[in-house]
Amino acid sequence: MAISETTYFIKKIKNIFNKWTLATASIILVLCLPLLAILLGLLTGAGNTWDHIQKYLLLEYISNSIYLIIGTGILSSLIGISSAWCVATYNFKFRAYIQWLLYLPLAIPSYIMAYAYVGFLEFEGTFDNITLNTTSGLDIMNIWGLIFILSISLYPYVYGSSWVMFTSLGKKLWESTSLSGITQNKYFFNIALPLTLPAIFAGLFLVFMEVLNDYGAAKYFGINTFTTGIFRTWTALEDINSSIFLAAILVVVIVIIQIINRFFRGRKSYSINDISSNSQNVRKNIKGIHQLLVLTICLFPVVIGFIIPLLQLLKWSMLHISSQLDLFLFYLSMNSILLAFFTSLLIVLVALLLVFLPRWSKNTYMKFLTNFSTVGYSIPGAVIGITLIAASGYFVNYFDYIFNLKIGKYIFSGLALLIFAYLFRFISVAYNPLEANTLRINPSIPESSYLLGKSKFFTLFKVEIPLLKSSIISSSLILFIDLMKELPLTLILKPYNIQTLAIKAFEYADDERITEAALPSVILILIITTIILFLSKYSKVKAY
Amino acid sequence: MNKYLVILLMVIFYLQCTNSPNDSSLTIYTHRHYDVDKEIFANFEKEMGVKINVVNASADELIQRIESEGDQTPADLLITVDAGRLVRAKEKNLFQNFNSSMIDSTIPDNLKDSENQWVGITKRARVIVYSKERVDPSELTSYEDLADGKWKNRILVRSSGNIYNQSLMSSLISANGEENAMNWAKGITNNFAREPKGNDRDQVKAILAKEGDIAIVNTYYIGRLLNSDDELERRAGNAVNVFFPNQEDRGTHINISGIGIIKNSKKVELATLFIEYLLSKDVQEQFATANYEYPINSNALSASVLEEWGDFKEDTLPLQRLGELNKEAVMVFDRAGWP
Repeated sequence: MAISETTYFIKKIKNIFNKWTLATASIILVLCLPLLAILLGLLTGAGNTWDHIQKYLLLEYISNSIYLIIGTGILSSLIGISSAWCVATYNFKFRAYIQWLLYLPLAIPSYIMAYAYVGFLEFEGTFDNITLNTTSGLDIMNIWGLIFILSISLYPYVYGSSWVMFTSLGKKLWESTSLSGITQNKYFFNIALPLTLPAIFAGLFLVFMEVLNDYGAAKYFGINTFTTGIFRTWTALEDINSSIFLAAILVVVIVIIQIINRFFRGRKSYSINDISSNSQNVRKNIKGIHQLLVLTICLFPVVIGFIIPLLQLLKWSMLHISSQLDLFLFYLSMNSILLAFFTSLLIVLVALLLVFLPRWSKNTYMKFLTNFSTVGYSIPGAVIGITLIAASGYFVNYFDYIFNLKIGKYIFSGLALLIFAYLFRFISVAYNPLEANTLRINPSIPESSYLLGKSKFFTLFKVEIPLLKSSIISSSLILFIDLMKELPLTLILKPYNIQTLAIKAFEYADDERITEAALPSVILILIITTIILFLSKYSKVKAY
Repeated sequence: MNKYLVILLMVIFYLQCTNSPNDSSLTIYTHRHYDVDKEIFANFEKEMGVKINVVNASADELIQRIESEGDQTPADLLITVDAGRLVRAKEKNLFQNFNSSMIDSTIPDNLKDSENQWVGITKRARVIVYSKERVDPSELTSYEDLADGKWKNRILVRSSGNIYNQSLMSSLISANGEENAMNWAKGITNNFAREPKGNDRDQVKAILAKEGDIAIVNTYYIGRLLNSDDELERRAGNAVNVFFPNQEDRGTHINISGIGIIKNSKKVELATLFIEYLLSKDVQEQFATANYEYPINSNALSASVLEEWGDFKEDTLPLQRLGELNKEAVMVFDRAGWP
């Protein structure tokens, strides 16, 4: 009896600690290093300027960040939900195009949006000139202006997730409820909106993270937020311990928000692929003044979030086009594209491993632990950058010590460190949709492959990856966009021979030469716009 | 097949990005990202047959990076846009001494480190600019005077997070003591025409827009505004005159862009040669004309617009002090409520 119990126990242990478990555990461990380094800041404690920060600064950092989150949350929801509702429920002219144009503000990094709008609205700026100098300019360099800038650049997150939900509610629900004589308004507020709330919240969560991630726009507007405060503590107060301590507090708060978010939405994801063909939506035809109203609601965000800033940037870039448009700019663009392209491939690959290894290991703890390796998206890029640059020395030494080989510096310095940072920050962008879509693959499909004696990797490459093809392509494209725009990590960690369009634009802007920053920005925006339009063409096939 | 091609390309791309610097090269970590710097570096490459690698980032990031890289750092030189960061790098023991009779003889003592660990390469003054229409220059005297009630709702200045403001504050602490500097900051805060925001150029534009009457800015921004391709910027530049404060006492606050040789660099001779090159008369004039900064080498000529503003008395406080007092300056700003 006892022997069989022991063998059972050993078998169980063997089951838990198989090679897949080990592989999963090591990937998770490496991916969690930056998170550990930040949280270590809580143990190390704050530095010697902490009293000063608490007494004079902390309250302002917290209150400004909260105002920004609430303000941007409300405004971006208003814009995102109203346009999504119109696109999902009405049939009007150009609807098929507008549906995708509404995503375009994502192509403009928010700090460039901020500079463009200041130029557009300032005294004797473009708007002032159009209105024949009757406005004497509009000062938007305040917290309200910042809420406006962040809302128009971030509403597509809310728009995207609520549009998917509104569309998937489908006509059956509307038909069955309309039988009871309910009006469209009532349907929206009492039925559609509550059902969509979790999706809206998922989109809003991304908005909040991006608000906390913003450094450039807030700094330019002179608004002290938690993130600018982390930087100021490090640079001006020369206190990196307090800086990382602040960052660790922020990370703890974010993880709490994330838990609440997970609680709200359960295991659901809200990607375009969720629209299945049987939820085909029959849209209401509208005409005349009604159509005009809907068109206004849908075009307004596109005009203010994309067309106006792009025109302002084009106007500026014309000033320097002859001197700036040269081979170097082409080289910069190629550099940005290559870096973003290869990195997004790598991230998708690691994300796939992170999805499949825990399955193969059949160990439920691993599944739980992967959650920690995907929190990077919610940590401001600047915080990751500072922590990694401060910790990379330790990582190198530890690696060399553990493996007794001088290999640490190839993993934790130069380009590799930058790519590792990208991986940590962006892996959830690929992991979440891939994981959600893998759940839909009927488990009997890979099982039958195993029964035929095929290996796990063979099955992965020949069966599962082809089934996931569409979400692999769409998540690589979204990653590509994120990487092209990425600024703080690239700025802090890039090796000397890496230059990107985003960096070039920032350097000019930082140097107070905003008109010269315009051309690299425009090229960046055009490349991303192309990708978004390509994504729309590609997803259209799936969505209908 | 395709898979292998992609992997091969990735490896090539990675190797292309990680090729390590060789002997006849200099790696420069710099906070300056002006186009003229690139031209000057390219000229040096041509003349000396040396390859120059450049890493651009803010000085704080670069210093942190040199520290983390330790003896593995590829950096030979660090260039910053203010003296404070040079002092910080020295305090962190990142620099080594250099010996150059050329530097000894041409650069005044207050513009270099007492132990020859760093030296200025260009100079800028933080001045008062005033509206030609609404301010009589005889009203203006010194930085200290700006705290006076007569300037209520008239002063434009950017936030205290900016290093140029921090250096100015350090010089005031050094001249008048912390208590007085604090009262001065409170006085200025009461006189703000608007909350501090934007950059130096935005302050000048705000004078054009009549949001305020005087602004505290660096000289080269005025030079750039006057010579901008953008009409609005030229008009903003033309709406103001430059006033050099404190001519009756210690002189106008100046700051430098400066350079030092990294401790772990094994190319001290080449690096010293490079610094001497940057300080030579021709290169100094190149800096001055392209970027409207004041040359450090007194034999070099300033840009014509700077000549028009005339000579002025400089504060000769050793710039080392700016770095030593920087942290105190930031705390004074916070206590005074200058955001």
